[in-house]
Formats: sequence, C-alpha cells, structure tokens
Amino acid sequence: MNKIKINIDGLDIETDSGKTIMEVADEHNVHIPRLCYHKSLPIQAACRLCVVEVEGIRNLVSSCSYPISDGMKILTNSPRVVKARKVILELLISNHPLDCMTCEECGKCLLQKYAYEYKVSDSRFKGRKYDLPKDDKNPFFIADYNKCILCGRCIAACKEIQYCNVVDFVNRGFDCRPGSEYEKTFDKTECVFCGNCVSVCPVGALIEKDRIGKGREWDIKRVSSICPYCGVGCQISLIVKDNNVLWIEGRDTGTLNNGWLCVKGRFGYKFINHPDRLKKPLIKVNGKFKETNWDEAIDLVIKEFTKIKNKYGPDAFGILSSAKCTNEENYLMQKFARVVLGTNNIDHCARLCHAPSVSALSKTVGSAAMSVSIEDISKADCLFVIGNNTTETHPVTALYIKKAVNSNGTKLIVADPRKIELTNYATVWLRHKTGTDVMLLNGIAKVIIEEGLVNKEFIKDRVDGYEEYEREIKNISLDEVSNITKVSKDKIIQAARIYGKASSAIILWGMGITQHISGTDNAISISNLALITGHIGKENAGVAPLRGQCNVQGSCDMGALPDVYPGYQSVVKSEIREKFAKEWNVSILPEKPGLTVVEMMQNKTIKVMYIMGENPILSDPNYNKLKEELKHLEFLVVQDIFLNETAELADVVLPASSFAEKDGTFTNTERRIQRLNKAINPVGESKPDWQIICEISTRMGYAMKYNHPSEIMDEIAKLVSSYAGVNYAKIGESGIQWPVLSSTHPGTKFLHKEKFPIGKGKLIFTKYIPPNETEDKNYPYLLMTGRILFQYHTRTMTGRVDGLNWKAPEPLIEINTKDALKIGCKSGDRLKVSSRRGEIIVKANITDKVPEGEVFITFHYKDAIANALTNDEALDPYSKIPEYKVTVVKIQEKTTKW
Amino acid sequence: MKLNSVEDLNRYKEILRNKNNKSKKIVVRICSTGCRAFGALEVLDTFLKEIKKRRLNDKVEIRQTGCHGLCAKAPVLAIDPLGLFYQQVTPIDVPNIISHTILKGKILDKLVYKDLKTGESYPYIKDIPFYKEQLKIVLRNCGIIDPTSIEQYIMRDGYQALIKVLTSMKPEEVIEEVKNSGLRGRGGAGFPTGRKWEFVRNSKGRPKYIVCNADEGDPGAFMDRAVLEGDPHSVLEGMLIAAYAIGANEGYVYVRAEYPIAVYNLKIAIDKMYRIGLLGDNILSTGFNFKLYIKEGAGAFVCGEETALLASIEGRRGTPRPRPPFPAEKGLFGKPTNINNVETYANIAPIILKGAKWYSSLGTKGSCGTKVFSLAGKVRNTGLVEVPMGITLRRIIFDIGGGISRDRKFKAVQTGGPSGGCIPGKYLDLPVDYESLSSKGAIMGSGGMIVTDEDTCMVDLAKFFLNFLRDESCGKCVPCRIGTQRMYEILDKITKGKGTREDIDLLYMLAESVKDSSLCGLGQTSANPILSTLNYFKDEYMYHIDYKKCPAGVCEELITSPCRDTCPINDDAQGYIDFIKRGDIDGALAVVRKTNPLPSVCGRACYHPCERKCKRGEIDKPVSIRLLKRYIADKGKWIPLKVKLTKDKVAVIGSGPAGLSCAYFLVQKGYKVEIFESLPVSGGMLAVGIPSYRLPKDILKRDIDVIKKMGVRIHLNKRIGKEIKIFELRKEFKALFLGIGCHKPLMLNIPGENKEGVITGIEFLRKVNLGKKIDLKGKKVLVFGGGNVAIDVARVSLRLKADEVNILYRRGPDEMPASKEEIEEALEEKINIMYFIAPLEVIGDKKVTGVKCIKMELGDFDESGRRKPIPVKGSEHIVPCDVVIIAISQVPDFEMLNLPKEIVVGNKIIVDRDTMVTSIAGIFAGGDLVRGPSTIVDAMSDGKRGAISIDKFLRGEEVKFVPEKLKLDRLYKLEEEVVNWDRIDVKKLKLKTRACSFEEIEEGFSDKEALLESQRCLQCDKNRYEIK
Repeated sequence: MNKIKINIDGLDIETDSGKTIMEVADEHNVHIPRLCYHKSLPIQAACRLCVVEVEGIRNLVSSCSYPISDGMKILTNSPRVVKARKVILELLISNHPLDCMTCEECGKCLLQKYAYEYKVSDSRFKGRKYDLPKDDKNPFFIADYNKCILCGRCIAACKEIQYCNVVDFVNRGFDCRPGSEYEKTFDKTECVFCGNCVSVCPVGALIEKDRIGKGREWDIKRVSSICPYCGVGCQISLIVKDNNVLWIEGRDTGTLNNGWLCVKGRFGYKFINHPDRLKKPLIKVNGKFKETNWDEAIDLVIKEFTKIKNKYGPDAFGILSSAKCTNEENYLMQKFARVVLGTNNIDHCARLCHAPSVSALSKTVGSAAMSVSIEDISKADCLFVIGNNTTETHPVTALYIKKAVNSNGTKLIVADPRKIELTNYATVWLRHKTGTDVMLLNGIAKVIIEEGLVNKEFIKDRVDGYEEYEREIKNISLDEVSNITKVSKDKIIQAARIYGKASSAIILWGMGITQHISGTDNAISISNLALITGHIGKENAGVAPLRGQCNVQGSCDMGALPDVYPGYQSVVKSEIREKFAKEWNVSILPEKPGLTVVEMMQNKTIKVMYIMGENPILSDPNYNKLKEELKHLEFLVVQDIFLNETAELADVVLPASSFAEKDGTFTNTERRIQRLNKAINPVGESKPDWQIICEISTRMGYAMKYNHPSEIMDEIAKLVSSYAGVNYAKIGESGIQWPVLSSTHPGTKFLHKEKFPIGKGKLIFTKYIPPNETEDKNYPYLLMTGRILFQYHTRTMTGRVDGLNWKAPEPLIEINTKDALKIGCKSGDRLKVSSRRGEIIVKANITDKVPEGEVFITFHYKDAIANALTNDEALDPYSKIPEYKVTVVKIQEKTTKW
Repeated sequence: MKLNSVEDLNRYKEILRNKNNKSKKIVVRICSTGCRAFGALEVLDTFLKEIKKRRLNDKVEIRQTGCHGLCAKAPVLAIDPLGLFYQQVTPIDVPNIISHTILKGKILDKLVYKDLKTGESYPYIKDIPFYKEQLKIVLRNCGIIDPTSIEQYIMRDGYQALIKVLTSMKPEEVIEEVKNSGLRGRGGAGFPTGRKWEFVRNSKGRPKYIVCNADEGDPGAFMDRAVLEGDPHSVLEGMLIAAYAIGANEGYVYVRAEYPIAVYNLKIAIDKMYRIGLLGDNILSTGFNFKLYIKEGAGAFVCGEETALLASIEGRRGTPRPRPPFPAEKGLFGKPTNINNVETYANIAPIILKGAKWYSSLGTKGSCGTKVFSLAGKVRNTGLVEVPMGITLRRIIFDIGGGISRDRKFKAVQTGGPSGGCIPGKYLDLPVDYESLSSKGAIMGSGGMIVTDEDTCMVDLAKFFLNFLRDESCGKCVPCRIGTQRMYEILDKITKGKGTREDIDLLYMLAESVKDSSLCGLGQTSANPILSTLNYFKDEYMYHIDYKKCPAGVCEELITSPCRDTCPINDDAQGYIDFIKRGDIDGALAVVRKTNPLPSVCGRACYHPCERKCKRGEIDKPVSIRLLKRYIADKGKWIPLKVKLTKDKVAVIGSGPAGLSCAYFLVQKGYKVEIFESLPVSGGMLAVGIPSYRLPKDILKRDIDVIKKMGVRIHLNKRIGKEIKIFELRKEFKALFLGIGCHKPLMLNIPGENKEGVITGIEFLRKVNLGKKIDLKGKKVLVFGGGNVAIDVARVSLRLKADEVNILYRRGPDEMPASKEEIEEALEEKINIMYFIAPLEVIGDKKVTGVKCIKMELGDFDESGRRKPIPVKGSEHIVPCDVVIIAISQVPDFEMLNLPKEIVVGNKIIVDRDTMVTSIAGIFAGGDLVRGPSTIVDAMSDGKRGAISIDKFLRGEEVKFVPEKLKLDRLYKLEEEVVNWDRIDVKKLKLKTRACSFEEIEEGFSDKEALLESQRCLQCDKNRYEIK
C-alpha cells in the first residue's frame, strides 16, 4: 500500500491507496449522503445517492465503490452532483408513501434526512407507485415494501451475514422489490428472525412489531448494554422510554457483533417488563406464598441462616451463584459464602456446561478460557466445530463461521451426530456416535502424526509429553476408531489432513464435548490436537470452548466455584487463603474445597440452599429425584426475577432486578469484560442482586458497603491478576479482553502467545471410555439433550416472550425416519419416552437430523422435562458434570392407556 | 477421428479439399436459419426429396446454410458454381429450379432479384446492388458453409489462424497484431480489443477466463445471432486465439436461450471440436489446453452488460456491479476475464491470417475494418449487411437497403438499439464510424439499424424503447429503476395527449440525471432515445402537446382515422364512405359539408394527403377517397344549409378557397359576411389558376353558388388598396379576414426576361381562364419550373396547339415538387421534361428566339437533405423556342394591397398559425398570403380557423387555439369483412382527344364503381367508437 495524493473539494489529501472515495471522504469529515451503503455489508452501489464528480470521468461515479487513484480530483458537492442527488431523491419519493407523520422510522429515516438536506419535499414525477400487501404475519416485524427504497441492505444482511437466503430481489425494473420464494410471507419461510434485516433498513419498510406506536427517535434514549442470553455477549442498546424497554438494537463498536443479533437478542426482551416479574419478597406460610416487605424477608433469612449455621456448621449451606448475574454479583456471592457463611460450598451452572473444559485445559495449557477471539474465526484457515450447534446456541458466532467459509474460503470440519445447520457449510462432516469423541479425536491425531503433519518445532519448544503420547496414539487402530465412532476412515483422514495442513486452525466446542462422563478427556483430546499441530498461541488459531450463558466465563473468573477463589486461585493453598483473608478483613477462610452443584443436591448434609438466578430443578439431571431431594432442605432461599420452578419450592423468594435495571459487568466467551448500564428503574420493589447480598451480609454482621458496582470491580482488580488493569472507565463501550495486566495494558486478543500459564503445554493421552449407559433391548435409543435457537435455558425469560413461543411452542423429540418406522409414529404424534429414571410425553419430529438409534430433546420445557430422563449418577470424575448427552431411553407410541 | 498435430489438421484439410474438388457437384445453398420462418425448411425438404427422386445425389449437393443477408426476400438460395441467386422460393418452384436451372443452366426470371425502381433483373449475386456494396469478413462463411460441418469450415482455411498462433506466435505477438489491426469491440462501446487483451494478460489473478458475449438483446438486432447460427466456428476460433493470447484455459459462450438454432449449432460445433481434438488438453500437441462451455442466458437484456453477464454465469441474479474493478482485473469468479462479443471474435482469425496491415487498411483511421449491421424497419431490403466502416448511412439505407418501403419519406435511422439514438435525414451522408455516430448523439452499438419513415411517430418510438428499457432494467439502481419508469410515463402521457410543455423540461432534466448517475450502461444510455428524438424532432413532441395530435398518425389515443387526421380540414372520409356503402349519397354529402365548403373542388383538385395515409395502402392501394368525394358532390342533392344571419358584419378579402371557407363557417355562426374580390370572377386561384380540364368552371360555380345562397355576398372587381382602403372597411365591418392569393409571379432574374414572347405562368393561366385568346399554334414553348403551375402551364400550352412543349427543371425527377399524377399525365400527353437544366439568358432581338441554358449536376447535400444543383462548367447551350413561360413561383402582390406594414414581413403576412390572428386587432389572415403558394385544402383550413377566431373575437372571448376534439359520430357499426378487390381506376378521356381539349379529363365514378370502391375502406376507426 503506497501513499497517494488526491483532492476532494479543493482539499489536498495524502492517503493510502486501495481506499474508496467515500472512505477517504469520511476520514476527512467530507459528508457524502448514502442509502444503500452500510459499513458491515457488501457494497451495492445501487442507490447512487453517493455519486460524486471525478475530473476526467464522463459520468458521475458512486463514491462508495470507486477506488481512489493518484492525482484524482473529486467534487462531492458540485451543482451537477447536487442536481443528480435531488433527482434521485425525487424519484425515490415518487414511489414512497409520504406518511412520515405516522411512520415509526420518522426522525431516523435516511430518506427523510436526505430529503430534508436537499430540500426535496415532493416529487414532480407522478406515476405508478408500489401497491404491495404488508407482511405482518410474524410476531417480530412488519415488512411494508411500499416504503422500500431497494437499497438491498436487508437482502445483503440475509444472504451475506445471516446466510439465510430468505429474501432476495424479485422481479425486474420498477416491479423489482425484496421478496421470498413463491411470495411467501416470512412466517412461512425458513427465516430465523434474527431481525438483522430490520436493523439495517434505512427507512420504515421493516419495523419491529412491538415498537409500533410506542415512540419515535426523539422520544427515546439509547442505553448501552449486553445481551442477557448466550455467551457471545452481543453488544446491544436498550431503547428506553418512560421506564420501559421499547426495543433492542445491536450495537456496533467494531469489536464484536457489529450490530448483528439473533432472534433472542433482538426480540427476546419482553420479559423485562413482564407482569409476572416478582415485585415483592415472598415468604411461604403454610405452604403458600405471601407477599411481604424486604425487612421481614431478610430478617427471616438471617434468622434461619444463623440458626442453621449454629446448628450444623457452615458446610450445611449450599450456594448456587449465577452465570446470568454480573461479575460483581458473583464476586459478592462467593465472598458472602466464604466470609459470612464460612463455606466453599458455592457453585453455579458452569458445572453443567464447561467444567470439563476447565479441568482439562487447566491441566494441559493452564487456562480454561477461549484462547482466541470471536473475530479470529472469520480469518482462520480451518475451523473444527465439534459438539456444538453454533447456529442455534451461539448464533452470532455462527455468523463468523459462515462468513469464513463463504467469503474467505476457510475449510470447515464439523463433528456432530446431528445434521446441524453448519454441516451445510462443512468441507467434511464427521457424524460420530454420541459419546465417542475421544475415539474420534485420537483417530484424527493418529493420522496427523502418521502423516507427519505435526508441528515438530512447536512441540520441541512448548510441549511436554509428546513421546509418550505418540507411542500411545500409534497403538490405536483406525479401523477400531471407525467401528466405534461410525465414521469412515476416509473422512477421518480427510479431516485430519485439513486440520493438520492448515496454516491456522481453531477448534470450537460446546456441550457435545463436555456433557459426558469422559467430558474432561474429550476436552484434553482437543487440546492434544491443538498442541501437536501448534494451532494455539498464535494469530487466528487456538481452542474455543464456547460458553453457554452471558456471564458463565465471568462467574468462573469470579470464583463462584467450590475449589477456587476469584482468578482461579486455589482454596487449598494457604498463601492464597491468607491473601484473601487479609483483603476481606477476616481471620480465617474455609480450606476444604466445597461441593459441586450435583453433589450439593445429592448430599444430605446440605440443609440450606441459597440459589441466585438459577432453576436447577429443571436444568439439573434426574428431575424426579431432585424434586424429592430438595424437600429435605430445612430452608431454601431463591433470588430471581421470576417465580421459577425452583422458587416455587422455596421458603423465601427475593425479587431481583433484571439486567436492564442495573449496572455491572459480564465477561463473554472470548474473555471480553463488558458493561451493563442501568436503563430503567427496578421493576416493583425488586433490587439488584448485589444490593440484596450486601444487605444480608451487612445485617449478618459483615459490612458490605458499596455505592456502586464499579467499586466492587476495583476490589476484584486488586485480587485477580488477569483483571488487574480493569476498571469501569477502561471497559468503556466496547469492553476489554482479559488478561488486562495493568491500567495501561490494552487487553489480550489471544492467549498463550509466548508461553502457557503453566509453562509448557502438556500432552495427556486419553483412553476411550464408553458412556455410562449403553443401548440395549429395553432401552434401545440414545437420548441427547440440548438447546434450540428460539428458547433459552429453562425458559424463565424466553418463556415470557410471545414471539419466541410462537416459533417454538413446545418440546419435540427428534427421531430418525427409520426409527420412526420401527416405532410406528409420524411427526406430531405424542410419544412416551422413558428412561430408567422417569418418563415424559413429547411430540415427535421425524427428521434425518438425528442418526438412526439416537434421539434428541431440548431441555427447555417444563411441559416435557427432558431432565426427568437424564442421569444424575454418571459424572465425569474430574469435573463432576453429569452425562446429559447419553441417556438410554425407550420410546412408545401413544396408546389409549395414557 | 482425432487430430493429434498441426500436420494432421493440414492433411485433413487437403483430403477434404481434394474430395470436394473431384466431386464437381452443383451446390444449392439454402438459408435455413432466418429464412426458416418463411418456409425455408419446406423448400429444403422438397429439394432433398426431388434430388433423391431424380437420382441426382451425385451431381447436386443441397446445403443448409446460415443467413445470406437479404432477409426481405426470404426464403433465399444460391446456386454454385453458377453464382445465381433466387429469392422468395416456394416448394412449388423447386422442380422447375432443378429441371431448368440445375440441369439446363437456364435462369428463372420469376425468382430473380429485381431492382425496386427500374424493375431490372439481377440474376447473379455479384451484380445485385445489395451484395455488390458489401465486404464480408465476419460473414465470410455465413450462407456459404453448413454451420454444422466443421469440415466445411476447415476447408475454407478454418483453424489456420489458430495453427499460426500456436506454432509461430508468442501470446504477446498475437496481442500486438490485434492491437495493430485497430479492431475495436463490436459489442458497442468500441474499446480497442488488443488493449483489453493486454490488460487481461497482465492481470495477476489465476486462472483466467475467456467469455463470449452472445447475449444480443436489442430489438431489431440479429447480427450475432446470424454469425452463431451460420458460422459458429469463426467465433470459437477467435476465442481460442484470444485464450492463447491472454493465457486462459477455460471459456464460456453466454448465449441467449431464445436463439435455439444458435445454441444448437454451437453445441454441435463445440462437440465436434472436442471430438477432433481442437478443444481439450494439449490441442494439436502444442501444449495448449482449452475447455469451452455454453451458458444459456434466460433473456434478460441487462445480462448483455458484462458484469451482469458474469454474475449470471456464476449462477447469481444477473445484475451489474460497479466498475472498477473491471472484468479484466476481477471478472468471472473474481478472476481476470476477457469478454468480447461474437462479432469481435469472428474478426480475429482473418486478422491473424491476413495481417493487421490488411485489416487496418479497411474502414477509417479510427474505426478499422468492417461492421455488420442488421437493417430493419421501413427499408426495402431488410437484412444483414457487412460494410467497411466509413460508408455513409445513405449508401447503407438507399443503395444497399434499396430505400424506404412504399415510397415514403425517410425520417430517421435509429442506430445502436434502445440505447442508441436516431439520426435524421440531414445527416444521411454521415460516415458510419464510432466517432461520427456519437458526434450526432447516436452510437454504433452492436449494429442495429432501424429505419423510420414519415409514418413513424418519434415520440412513440422513444416510448417504445423506454418501455423496453423500463422492463429490462434490472431494478438495482434508483435512477434506472424509477427513472426509466417515470420517463416512460411522461412519454406515455404525451402520446395520450395529456402532456404539457413542462413535461418536456422534466424529460430533459430527468434524462440528463439518469444518464449521469446510473450504475451501468443500460441506465446511462436509457435516456438516449429521448434525448436524440428531442434533439431532432422536438416539433413532433410539441405537436402532441399543443395540438393533441400525432402527426404520424400512430399514437392511438390521438387519432380518429389516418385519413381524417391527415386532412387539414379533417374531412371525415370514413364517415361519408359509410353512407356511400349504404347508398345514401345525400347523407354522405351532408357529412362532407360539415367540414368542407368546397366538396366539388376538392373532389377534383385536392392533392389528397388522406390517400397517402390510408391504411388500405398498406395492403394493396389506398381507397380512392378524392374520387369518392367527387362522386358525392356530383350525385348528391345540394341543399343550402339553413342559417340565420343575426350577428355582426365581417369582411373577407379574396374569394379563393381561404376566403370562401372563412365565409362559409362564419355565416353558419350567424355573421353577415361580404367578400371583396378584385377579379371579375369569384373563386380566386380556383378560377384563374387551375385549368378547366382539371376543374370545370361550372363545377366551381356550383360550390360557390351554394355558399352564396347561404347569404354570403361577393363583390367582384373590388380591389383592396385601390378602391377600398383596409381601414375604411374596418369601420363598417367588425372583423376582417384577408384571404388573398399569390398572384404576383417571381421572375428568373436573368437578362432578356422582358422580351416579347416571355410570359409568366400565373399570368398565362389567368388570361386563359378569363377567356383571353392566346394562340400558340406551331410554336415551341419552353416552361421553366417544376411545380404544379409549370405542369398546368405546359398542358394548357399543348391544348392551345403549341407545336412542342418542354419543361426545363434544374434538378432531377426525384426532387420535382409537382404531384406525381400530374407529371404522369403530362408525360402521357407527350410533354417533354428536361431535367438538370437552368436558364442563363433569354435570347432574341425583340422577340424570343431561344434560351441560353446550362446543364446542372447534383453537388453536396444541403440542410434539407437534398443535393444542391450546381452548374456544369462549359455546358452552356441554347435551346431555341418561340415562347418562354416562367413558372417558378409566385407571391402575393403586397405593393398593390397596401397593407399595414407591421403585419407584412417579406412575402408573407405574419399571423399566429393556429388562430390566424395578425398583430392588428380584428384583422385575420390565411391562405397563400401567410403560407406562400400552397394547396387548396391548406387554404381552406386557414379560412376555417380564421372563422373560429373571428367568432371568438367578436364574442369577446380570448382568441386562443384549442385543439379540436374530433367526434366519431357514426350511425352504424360496421362489421363487414375486408373485400379483396383492387382500387377502381377512374375512367379518363382518351389521350388523343384530351390533349387538345379543355374538357374535364377524369370522368368520375359510376354508382357501381363508387359502391365497390367504398367497400374497400377498412374502417380503421371502427374500434374507436360505439354506437349508442
């Protein structure tokens, strides 16, 4: 790239070549109007409003597409240019309903803006206008193409961002407009309702349905926040008026989601102001809840807590912190547990998702976090997605994967028993049997080693244990691998070659890897692959355990775990204990590691549970047993925004505030610490969790006095080295990725650049262990559980969003066509599915998405509780995660008996 | 069989040639592509059967070929080695062709090309003007070889150019050769082909692609189609050479699926190339690999735009993207791509074989070589022509194209398809090359040429193209998507009579902006049809807007019927013809008299523009409208219209057609009208200008008498200026209409004009008509002039027993303004017309003895598109004679009239031509004194308009023009079928008797004849009215 000189409107500019005229103009604050141009979308050059005059070129050129060249003289505002723009606006207006008075987009509409700037109030062109039916058949948005100016942004968003291909231009000439196949309305298409089309529409053609009539640009304020759903942690703005969140917009800071969102992020906010929200503390009297005030509720909590502590000692407490609460809240919760209650019995749902990744990666590389950034995904040479249905569980991360494949020629390996959407983009799809991941990954490693694709230099410099590992791997027979995994040798070899030969590769995984009794081994196997090929610790290469909830990374970072303090500092090390005791101003801290989630449930020594923002009764395995077990508790406190299924069993329910009502931080899956900002006042008498914890603690005699969560973060920074440089000002609008080692440290895009936290990386050979349960005559099917795009967790939030329930109203069991023939059922039939632990009735969805012999149910619904079937006894020995992904079940056709 | 080396190919060629030379077959080449629509395949089939039947297979080869070019005469065939050309051949002709021509060498004159004017036969291809003027490079094999036979292509040096580049030229040398040839892209924009290749060669990306743009979508263009159908290998060889030059190993031919024969022949060609080893790996063992695919386009015009075309090949929606980057840099699948069109590739092999020097010597400096044009529209020889660049439009249209069909007047030629522009008659001598065409606002385009004539409405033409373009706009960019729609809508509005003058400004503004700001060539050129028609034919737009009329009679909503619209006084010919059909002559007369005060006169002496526009003329010959009117006037019962003269007094000066017409309409409105006539007879020029063999005196009197009976008073021998002063008249009369004729002759302004024996035509006719005795017995008369007066004078002279009458005219027969019928009759009467002669001096002492003349020849074209006559030096000669009659032109006698100065400019009175208002309140004028010498019916039209204005003036209304909405009040809805008999010829006096008599020449229709003739009327307005 060389420097060249150009002249814009008389201004001499020296700049790099390779830019467009518009880019240079923007850099120098020369205002060029534009309608179709959008910085995150491909250039269309269709609206022609950005035309400029270039000396020596006959016609006007579109500045968005035209590259600069040395000596170029450009006029952006000459009479000729202005005339052309006016005519373009006049033409647009001649086919545009001039209903600005009632249009939702008024005030933000670009057509309106430029019409104002160019003084175009009406059109001299009278003629045909669009007369198109509105599409308001879906609950999310209205498409009124009579207002469409055909900028093509929505189409580009659908085709080149979401890769959904639901809309494209139909017809030609004046009749051209966006449309779907066979003129279907959106509800009849494959639309995933990400709403990214709506977000880029510069006029009022695509409008969020719920915002209609609620307020326009000048009525509202935008509050920066973070999406409260999955671990991507998309940056959003809450659009607020009168203490109500009217709608959500994606925020583009150029660091994460570029403004793109998924259906939940964009349309799943209706729970905030939902009437079901808990507005007052509840106390159970004679089996029934009664509303009370905060004083009375907290008094009762303190009384019971004190009583039980005195009676049974500190380890009678079991505390569940929350991956949906902020870093500050998790920090306070674990501090409360350790300091006030004096126990390490604190855990949270990370136990049920990435605990194996944590235990594996801690051993092999020394850090459990995703080593790369999300944006690196689109730049890697190879992506290996195993056990993760990215498009449904981390939809915005999936956009990066699709973009990599479609635009950058990245090769994609997908390993999944289910025919997930990403298999459509895969270079090779390894359809392995559920629970055989170690076998598959070792098979791949064998090919890599035998074909000499290992990175010898990297191994020599940075890895321990290669010789032994190689020896063990070589003993594996590829035929056996193929037999057990049900994947052909050719495909294993193909995948190994793609991964082994890539210049940079990232392995992404999710619950498909972790929720097994071999969860830790699975993750170690992944780590092994990265270490032998050197696909870690460098640009665009690494390991990426995709975190499931908005702050699961942060909750772990904050030490809401039974064995570590904030920053993964072990509770068993005395010097660490002393450090914390000193900072927290107490004499001693408990030294025995606490119980994990599942252990707490099963352990009869637990007499009290304090559960914040979780719903274990539905999310934890073996529902029926769990429900019984919780009855043994002497006292149960649940702190939540809704009266969830677990809260119904509680003695005291404390109303918490939602993410929109408080300040705080989340840490996303790529270690990005990001700020929530209070957008509305707490609903009812609810309080932010951190205030509730502070109040209980203070009233129990340990003063927790913070004026603002930022003060909590300052305390965290003192104790956690990777957060050392973090403070609210530094986090700013776009967030910062830990480690942030000092106040001047810029944050860390990828981990392990020069060395691993544990020095050298460790190769640990893993041996294949079959799942705890294997199919047999009585229970012939393997059940996997998991998520779907339109619901989240146990639906405490999504269950209160009408649109999402419209799209995914009930649980379905996915059954392969061949199995359906055996069972004798068809789609829509209600089936009885039973395991050794329970049975549910669920509707059938006959599909080839699942392989023969394996079935899939989502765990979201209380109408058919998948966790009534799952196995709470089969745990990964290291991380104690239950084997959600393999449960043997039998399926019976509905009979008149039930 | 596979050709594994260059030697293999050359050997194969020799074998084929030897075999062919030995066979000595007669070859019948039948166009089986374009001519298919006219039954060529049936002809072919009959030939094959007949040849088989007669066992002539060894002697005769029946060959299916591509287009021969002369599509107008389809189906056509050629017979080798005789070099014969037969046209419009039917299966019935086939046995005769075999028996006579093929077996005996006899020419069948019926099937031979005939000159359209002279009727001369041209049996041999080499002589036919259509072919003689052409130079075929691109079309070298078209119509010669069987396009499905790669052997025939090879025999005619096919793939020799490929061998040459593969064996003896480096890619850079090939590019240099093409650069030096001066070849420019034939797709339209004319970018130098060699330079494009160089760009692609120097582009960094790999692989590279070659694409042939065969998405010919212009309405009326079929050049590429003909080449692909008739000689696909010429294109493919060009592509291979280009691929070698730029370093590509894969290519695509993007051809529209609507060209099934082209696709079929291309597929066969490519298939055969693969089979014999001209495509694939290691072609002819030279190490060159090339694969070729066909991509069929779905018929979107915009896919001719290169970026849209590439998108379409890639399987995406065919819409253009902005350039740069150009395809040479980032083209197909993002890789460097060379796109040329069919014709460009077809030029390559000859350039390689014959050299750049040869090619660049053809055509003009900036536009080398030849260009193929598809000649379409209102031209006689529609078809495909290939000519060297730089040839004039006139030669293409008139010499090769044979001129305009049905002797219509050329109006303009649209070049370059919908994106091009029109070029009017005054630029017919423009050399056809890239720069010249664009200097006149048109473009070369891909070579479409659509000829329009007087019957083409230019607004409608622009609308047609805009309709096409708005349909074909891909819809991506705003200016094109909405702009073309809005431009179309404005044009549509204008053609429906709803346009305003502001619309013209709006059109200009919109057109400029759309041109300036659209994304691709389609949008950028979409306004060209409007801009160029507005540039040259703005008056037609204004006519639609101001008069709510379509002068060409095309725009549906602005026409009643062509005859009526064309008539200056809107005589309702179909209306009265209806009555004739029903035998109601009186009813017919009543219809005529609604609009026409002088039916008997018009039935004889009108120049009947109605008949020229008559739709029946497009089938056979127009309905004889004038004679039907005469029939009505002669047979109908004349009842003076009842009028009540209750209003003001109006004076009309002059009792010619303008004055009489004005008076006629004024009395009907109740005004008391008095006409002042300087001559002793009423009728003006009708009485003293037209000889009585054309308009008998009593007939004229009949029309005038009726007008008089309606209350119009005519004062004879009252001369304005002398006896009566204009301003005095104004005192008595509330309004004045001046309808004076052109009675003052123009002189030749040469020495000797005042000699005895020299007389002016107008003076001569007046004397004769007023009964003055002139005896020309035994005299030799010379008449100077070329108009109707000159013909009248000559014919009257003949009737006055002149010994010899000669008309001398300084231009040629085509330029002669006199009506064709009159000239014909004059020639029948043995009047001699001498063209290209101009007088210099009248010779003689006192009396004329002769005129010194000079020969003329045609020089350059003047602004009106006519060639200027210039004297031939040294050709002076004397034409002896006794009498010289000067009949060149005449003007009103303003000196004598003594009119107010402010209304006279030069030889004309200045009026508003729509209202006949002069600059003096209350004074109106019309006819010859505002138009110059003109026609009867034009003068009548002026008189009528004058009457309308005078009425408004006297009623105190604003005198302004309001377009008259013509009503179609019919009594019957006619459903009769179209009859098929010919136009009824009117009986005329026998030549012998008529040449020496002043008796009326035409006899007029009998009842039966009139009925038969009336039934020929097509009633083309019958769908425009409803019977209540």
